[in-house]
Amino acid sequence: MDVSFALTGKGYVLVAADTTAARSIVKMKGDEDKIKSLGPHLLMAYSGEPGDTVNFAEYIERNIRLYQIRNLYPLRPPSAASWIRRSLADSLRSRSPYSVNLLLGGYDTSTYTPHLYWIDYLGTMATVPFAAHGYGSYFALSLLDRYHDPEAPLEEGLATLKRCIDEVSKRLVVAPGKYKVKVVDKDGIREVEL
Amino acid sequence: MSIMEYNGGSVIAMVGKNCVAVASDLRLGNQALTVATNFEKVFPITDRIYLGMSGLATDVTTLRETFRYRVNMYTIKEERDIEPEAFAHLVSSTLYERRFGPFFIEPVIAGLSKTSSGAFRPYIAGADLIGCLNFAKDFVVAGTASEKMFGVAEGLWEPDLEPEDLFETISQTLLNSVDRDAYSGWGAIVHVITPEQVITRTLKARMD
Amino acid sequence: MATDGGAYSYSLTVFSPSGKLVQIEHALAAVSQGTTSLGIKASNGIVIATEKKSSSILIDDSMIDKVSVICPNIGIVYSGMGPDFRVLVAKARKSAQAYWKMYGEYPPTKVLTQEIATVMQQATQSGGVRPYGVSLLVAGWDDNRGPSLYQVDPSGSYWAWKASAIGKNMINAKTFLEKRYNDDISLEDAIHTALLTLKEGFEGQMTEKTIEIGVVTVPSPAEIDAEKTAGPNVRPKPTFRKLSEEEVRDYLAL
Repeated sequence: MDVSFALTGKGYVLVAADTTAARSIVKMKGDEDKIKSLGPHLLMAYSGEPGDTVNFAEYIERNIRLYQIRNLYPLRPPSAASWIRRSLADSLRSRSPYSVNLLLGGYDTSTYTPHLYWIDYLGTMATVPFAAHGYGSYFALSLLDRYHDPEAPLEEGLATLKRCIDEVSKRLVVAPGKYKVKVVDKDGIREVEL
Repeated sequence: MSIMEYNGGSVIAMVGKNCVAVASDLRLGNQALTVATNFEKVFPITDRIYLGMSGLATDVTTLRETFRYRVNMYTIKEERDIEPEAFAHLVSSTLYERRFGPFFIEPVIAGLSKTSSGAFRPYIAGADLIGCLNFAKDFVVAGTASEKMFGVAEGLWEPDLEPEDLFETISQTLLNSVDRDAYSGWGAIVHVITPEQVITRTLKARMD
Repeated sequence: MATDGGAYSYSLTVFSPSGKLVQIEHALAAVSQGTTSLGIKASNGIVIATEKKSSSILIDDSMIDKVSVICPNIGIVYSGMGPDFRVLVAKARKSAQAYWKMYGEYPPTKVLTQEIATVMQQATQSGGVRPYGVSLLVAGWDDNRGPSLYQVDPSGSYWAWKASAIGKNMINAKTFLEKRYNDDISLEDAIHTALLTLKEGFEGQMTEKTIEIGVVTVPSPAEIDAEKTAGPNVRPKPTFRKLSEEEVRDYLAL
């Protein structure tokens, strides 16, 4: 039932995920942060099978951190995305595969470009201008087709994101109540209020 | 729901006079939902060989990486570029390694093979998901629009097409086929391989 | 304690203070006691030849094979220890077939030579083994490099040669070959030169029973193209073959 969105704009990537932690029909928690910072300029929103999600996200987080400690610089977004995709693709054909879907948003500080990757639990990876996972995707993608502008300033990007969230709240039966929104740009990562 | 149709997508290759062409659509879907419209399924292997893959997108990416690795190792070890015939066998053996837990892709290989006189001979081949090679003299197709492509190609293809005519033939075949397929489309990319150069063009299609 | 190599002669993986691996030197000594073999690259092919010596007249020497076919385009000959050679032949054949399974064609001479050289090198660095007591001459033809002749030593080093000799008379034979060799020698002439060179250090009678010859022939461009388009169900026409006893007898008679 998780919902997550992400979109690129002029020099930034916005990543949003709902904050509900649910077990079956019971809402256990309403302020869960499902977006991890994998580095100074890399965000990962994760959703999927409860249990798998946090475990996999932490595995990725620690290994990306290890790379930075060993090499004294972080992996750039395309390389990080490739490595994470490969982890999921290998996991898919293992004895116990992870069921985790990801949105990976990053800002490449050497080319000054925002990057967004849509990755699912099979290890399918797409480089996209905007993306969504969960039931929210059926509502948000058509809105983003209409309103997304890769050159939009942050305020416009946030307005577009809000359209998506509002549409989901209006039309989706099992819509989540709250979202956490983070942005990554040349200055790094910060949380923003809608 | 078939795993081969989960992400959608189609590829095709054709033989021309002293040239070959290979093309794919650009859609990446999650069943009926379109996720991306820039997902290329044809990859350069050498200056004269291109490999197209349709099927499960995760396996398309994984195998692209596998073949890049294996061809790089081959090139270093043998101190020469791999020839289409050997590469087709490499594709076949790589897929057959997973005979009882296959990669869910169908490959299409297009290239120019060097003859002893220094001239080039067109070469195309397809295979099923466990690597059974299909050597064709005219064209090979794969993916969710393959049945349609068989029909259109059967009507449009003729022997000894020059590069520009071959480009037109393969483009029309692919575009008209994917327009009737809900799981393929959203633009296409075409590569025409000639002895001198590779001509790559991205095509607009019906964007629905 | 070994009398000549000192304390270092025991462990093959330990360098002596002078920077030598004594066991490899001993292996080379074993090779230089073996019967002479040689190879000559001609303008249109390659010949490899060897002397075949039995320790007793009671041995059925028709069963001894010193020139071995590895795959349709490659053959090898050795000097040194027969049993070690047999093992290497088995490994080389297996490697050639594995290559064929992967790529649908047989390996180029250089790739197969490297493969054999790797096996031989590993025997100089692994625990519990000794180096192979053989030197090899590898002759083959391939699309890419044409006819090529390589020598592999127990250390695992290999070189390409225009003509080379290994075994008991290698020094004399090589001097002889240096005098006789030129770049546009024909295969027929090369076979005669090979026999002449072997004769130099030969003990006893040179007959079709005591000589083994293998030749690489170069296919015509038409044959090469025909092979490529023939499809997967046609056997490749061999470019390496051993000469029959009759053929050897005819060459000796000339």
